[in-house]
Amino acid sequence: QDEPGCLDCHAQEDSPELHQVFNSAHGDVNGGGAAACTACHGPSEAHDRRGRRVSPDISFGPKWGSEPAAQNDSCLACHESTGGKLAWLGSEHEQENMVCADCHDSHTTRDPVMEVETAQTQCLTCHSRQRAELNMPSRHPIAEGKTACTDCHNPHGSTTHAALHQVTLNENCYSCHEEKRGPMLWEHEPVTEDCANCHTPHGSVHDNLLTARGPAQCQQCHSAAFHPSVPYGGEGLSGSMNANVAGKNCMNCHSQVHGSNHPSGARLTR
Amino acid sequence: QDKAEPEEEAIYRPLQVTALASPDVLLSEYRGTVELGLGYTSDDNFMFGRYNGLQEDGATLIGNLNWQDFSGDSNWRVTLSDLGLDTREGEVTWQNKNAFKLSLGFDSQQQVNNNSGATPFRGSGTLTLPDEWVYGSTTGDFSELQASLNYFDQEITRDKLFANLSTRLGDRWHLSGGLSYEQKEGTGDISGAMYTDAASGDAAYLPMDIDYETTEFDIGLSYAATGLNLEARLDYSDFNNQDDILIWENPYRSRTPDSMGGMSLAPDNDQLQGRITGQYIITPTARLQFDGSYAVASQDNDYLAYSVNPNAVVTTPLPRESFDGEAQTGTLNAKLWLRPINKLDVELFYKGRERDYDNPRDGYTYIRGDGLSQPRDELTVYNTSHHYQSQIIGLETTWRLPKRTRFTFEYEYEKEERENAAVEETEEDRVVLGLRAQPLDGLTARLEFGYANRAADTYNWDQRYYALLDVELINATPDSQRYINHPELSQYHLSNRERTHGKLDLSWLPTDNWLLNFNMLLQADDYDKSYLGLRDAAWERYHLSASYTAVKDVTATLYGGFDRYETEQMGRAFRGGAEKNAFEIYQPLPQASDPDRDWQLDAGNDAITVGANIQWMVADDLKIEADYSYVDTEGDQTFKTYGAADLNPEDLPTVETTLHHLNASGTWHMRKDLSFKLQYQYYNYESNDWALEGVALDSIDNVLTFGAYNPDEDIHYVGVSALYRWQ
Repeated sequence: QDEPGCLDCHAQEDSPELHQVFNSAHGDVNGGGAAACTACHGPSEAHDRRGRRVSPDISFGPKWGSEPAAQNDSCLACHESTGGKLAWLGSEHEQENMVCADCHDSHTTRDPVMEVETAQTQCLTCHSRQRAELNMPSRHPIAEGKTACTDCHNPHGSTTHAALHQVTLNENCYSCHEEKRGPMLWEHEPVTEDCANCHTPHGSVHDNLLTARGPAQCQQCHSAAFHPSVPYGGEGLSGSMNANVAGKNCMNCHSQVHGSNHPSGARLTR
Repeated sequence: QDKAEPEEEAIYRPLQVTALASPDVLLSEYRGTVELGLGYTSDDNFMFGRYNGLQEDGATLIGNLNWQDFSGDSNWRVTLSDLGLDTREGEVTWQNKNAFKLSLGFDSQQQVNNNSGATPFRGSGTLTLPDEWVYGSTTGDFSELQASLNYFDQEITRDKLFANLSTRLGDRWHLSGGLSYEQKEGTGDISGAMYTDAASGDAAYLPMDIDYETTEFDIGLSYAATGLNLEARLDYSDFNNQDDILIWENPYRSRTPDSMGGMSLAPDNDQLQGRITGQYIITPTARLQFDGSYAVASQDNDYLAYSVNPNAVVTTPLPRESFDGEAQTGTLNAKLWLRPINKLDVELFYKGRERDYDNPRDGYTYIRGDGLSQPRDELTVYNTSHHYQSQIIGLETTWRLPKRTRFTFEYEYEKEERENAAVEETEEDRVVLGLRAQPLDGLTARLEFGYANRAADTYNWDQRYYALLDVELINATPDSQRYINHPELSQYHLSNRERTHGKLDLSWLPTDNWLLNFNMLLQADDYDKSYLGLRDAAWERYHLSASYTAVKDVTATLYGGFDRYETEQMGRAFRGGAEKNAFEIYQPLPQASDPDRDWQLDAGNDAITVGANIQWMVADDLKIEADYSYVDTEGDQTFKTYGAADLNPEDLPTVETTLHHLNASGTWHMRKDLSFKLQYQYYNYESNDWALEGVALDSIDNVLTFGAYNPDEDIHYVGVSALYRWQ
C-alpha cells in the first residue's frame, strides 16, 4: 500500500515544527513516517488530493479545527484507557468543549504541559484566581516547578471534588504529608475530616497556608473558660508580651495541632 | 470556527489567542542538549530561596541535560536539571514501542524556613542547655541567654528515588506499578510546654530534628474493552519516623526543679488502599462511571511514658503498651451520564465517604505537663472515637441552547454524620445555576449563581466533654471543670450555614491578537444560628487579564487582581462558675451567662496582584523572556466589646507584605548547536508580621522563642550558561 502523501507537501524545511513529531513518541505510530500523520489526522484523502482547499479529516487547528469530539476521539483512541482519563466524559474541561490540543502539543519532544516546570503556565492561562493565589506569601512550590497542578488535580476529570487524583482531599494532602496521617491517640477531629477546614491549598497571606491566623482561627472553634475565651489584641504585643498573641500564639503551648500520640497529650500540648 | 456554519449550529469553543508556549525548535530537533553555567546570588535569604535552592549567597552551578532518542524500536530519554542545587532532579525513561515503559528517577526538594532565629539548646533528640546556663522562672531571668545562643538553619530536604513500570499484557490489559522511597531530613521547629498546672505554663521553641522515611508501592491492572474500562489499583505507603520523642531540658527549672520535657513526634504509620475505577458504556448516550476505594491506616507505635520527668511519679500504669490504632476509610463515587436528546446532558451522581476510627477506648491519667508529679484520679481522660460519614446524591443537567448558549442546573444533597461531636448530623442542600453564552465569535460570558443551606441538628455543646470522660468520672469532676466549650459556641464546620455565591467571567477577543478577560467571584457564608464563633465570612475576587500574541514572535500577558476575605467572629470572655449550663442560675452568677462579656473580632485580608510576562523572539537567533510579579497583602484585625469594663482589646497592627519579583532571560543562538543564556532575577520582599516584629527570645515572660525576624530581602541573581546541542 502506498504511503500517504503528507510529507510531499509538509517538508522538513518548510515546517520544522511539524517534523518535531518524528523525534517524539508520536512519530512512530503506525510504523512512522506519513502513516503516523494519518494515525491521528485520519486518512485525509481529500486533503491529500486538494491540498489547501480541504481540511484533513481531523484537524487540530488553528486553520480548520474539527469538532471537539472528533479531535478528542482521535487522541482517546489510544489514551482513554490509561493514565486516568476514564472520567473525561462529563469532566469540567470536556464540558467546556476543550480539546486535548488546547493543552497538549503532540508534535514536540517535550510537551510543555507534561513537564512539571512549565505545566502550570498552561493551567494558569485560564485559572486566573489560582494564578494570584500562587504568588501569596505562603504557598506550595509551584512557581519553582517542584509541584505541578497535576500533582493534585486530574485535568482529565475524576469523580472526586475538584477533580482530585486521590479519593478525598485529605488523602491528597497525606500523599506528601504522611506524618499527619495518623491515626493518633488524640485526634484533632477537623484535621481528620477535612484539611481545608483550616488550610487553603493554593496560597494564603498567612503562614502555613492557613485561612486565618491565630489566635483568631483557633477561637472560631474554641471558647472554653479562662484563657481560650479572652480577646487578644494589640495590647498583648507591648511590654511583656502575651503568650497567647505573640510568637506562635495558641501554638506556643498547643503545638500538636494535627494530633498527638502522647499518653498525656489530650490537650495537644505534647 | 467555521464561519460558513449557521450560527445556531456553531460549536462553542473557549477563546484563546495564546497558542501553546511554542517550544523552541532549536531545542527540540536535536537529540541532546546540555546546559552548563554559573549563577550568583547576592545575599543569604529564606523567602527567595525557600524552594529554589538559592538561599545562600555566592556562586552555584547551572547544570541541565536533556537527551533522547526516538529513532529506533525502543526509545529512551534522560533528563537532569538543577544539578548544582539542592533541588536537583532527574529521570531516565526507556520505552519499547507499545510493549512497556520503564522510568527511574530522583527528585530533591527543599524548604527553607525562617533562618534568622537562634536557640540556647544544643544537641538533637535530647536538647540540653549549656553548662553556664542560668535557670529562672521567666525568660527575663535567663541572664546567660545572649551568650548561649546558637544560630541554626531551619531547612528541610526531601530526596526521593522512584521507579515506574508499565506494560501491555495483550490488547486489553495493561499493568503499571511504581516504587518510591523518600527521605525527609533537616531541622524544623516545635514549641514545648512545661506545666505545673493549667494556669502556669512555660514554653520554649525547640529545634526539631526531622528524619522521616516514606516507602510507597503501587500496582495497577487495567482492562479496556469496547464497553467497559476498569482499573484496579493497590497502594501501600509506609511512613517511618526515626525519632519517637524530643526531650528537652527545662530552662525554667527555678520554678520546677528537676524537670525534663518530652514532646511526642509523629508516629510511624502505614496505609494500604485498594481502589477500583472504571466506566461502563451502556449505550453511546449512557455511561456509568465509578470509583471506589477502601483504605486501612494503621499506627502501632509503642507508647511513650506518661512523663519523661523521673520526678513525675505516676503509679497508674498505661492502659496498653501501644495504641494499636486503625482508621478505615471507604469511598464510593458513582456517576451515571445520560444524553437522552442531543441537546441535553444529565448526570446523576452519588459520593460517599466514611472514616471509621475504630480503636480501643481507654482511660489515660492526665498529667498536664512534665513539671511535677501531679496526677489526679479525676483527671483521667478517654480517647474518643470520631467516626465520620458523608453521603451526597445529586443531579446535574446541561441544556444546550441556540447561539452557543448552555444552561446548567445542579442540585445536590449532602448528609454528614459524626460521632462524639457537638453536632452529630448535618444536612445540606446545594443548588447551582449556570449560564454560558457565546453570542459572538469573539465574546464569551459565563454567569453562575449558587445557594447552599446547611442545617445542623441540635448542637450538643457538651458532647465532646462527655465523650472524653465516663459517667463516674464526670460526677467526680467539679462543676467548674465540666466543659470543653461555651454552650453558645458553634464550630463553623458543624453549624448551620447559608452560603451564596456568584461568578461572572467575561472573555473578549477584540482582534485575533488580543484576549481580554474579567473574572469575578463573590461569596458569602452566613452562620445564621451561631452566636459565638465564626458568624460571617465573605470573599470578593476580581481579576483582569490581557493577553497579546503577535504571530509567533511576541506573546505577552498582563494581569491584575484584587482579593478580599473578611470574617466576623464573636467570643465571650468568661471564667469560673458553673459553665456546665449557661442558662441555669448558679450562685454566684457565672460570667458565662453575661452578654456584656461578649467581644467581636472583624478580620480582613486584602491582596493585590499585578503581573506581566513577555516572550519575544527579537530575531531568529535571539529570544527574550521576562516575567514580573507584584504582590501586596494586608491583614487587619479589629475588636469591638459590649460593656465589660475589664475587656479593652486594642486592634491588632496591620500586617503587610510586599513582593516585587522580576525574572528575565535572554538566549542567543550563536550557532544552530550552541546558544548562550543570560538570566537575571530581582527579588524584593518585606513583611511586618506582629508575630515576629519585636518579639525577641525573651520578650514573652513564659515563652522562650527563637527571636526570628521578619523577612526583608533585596536579592539579585545572575546566571550565565551555555547550551550545546547534538544530533
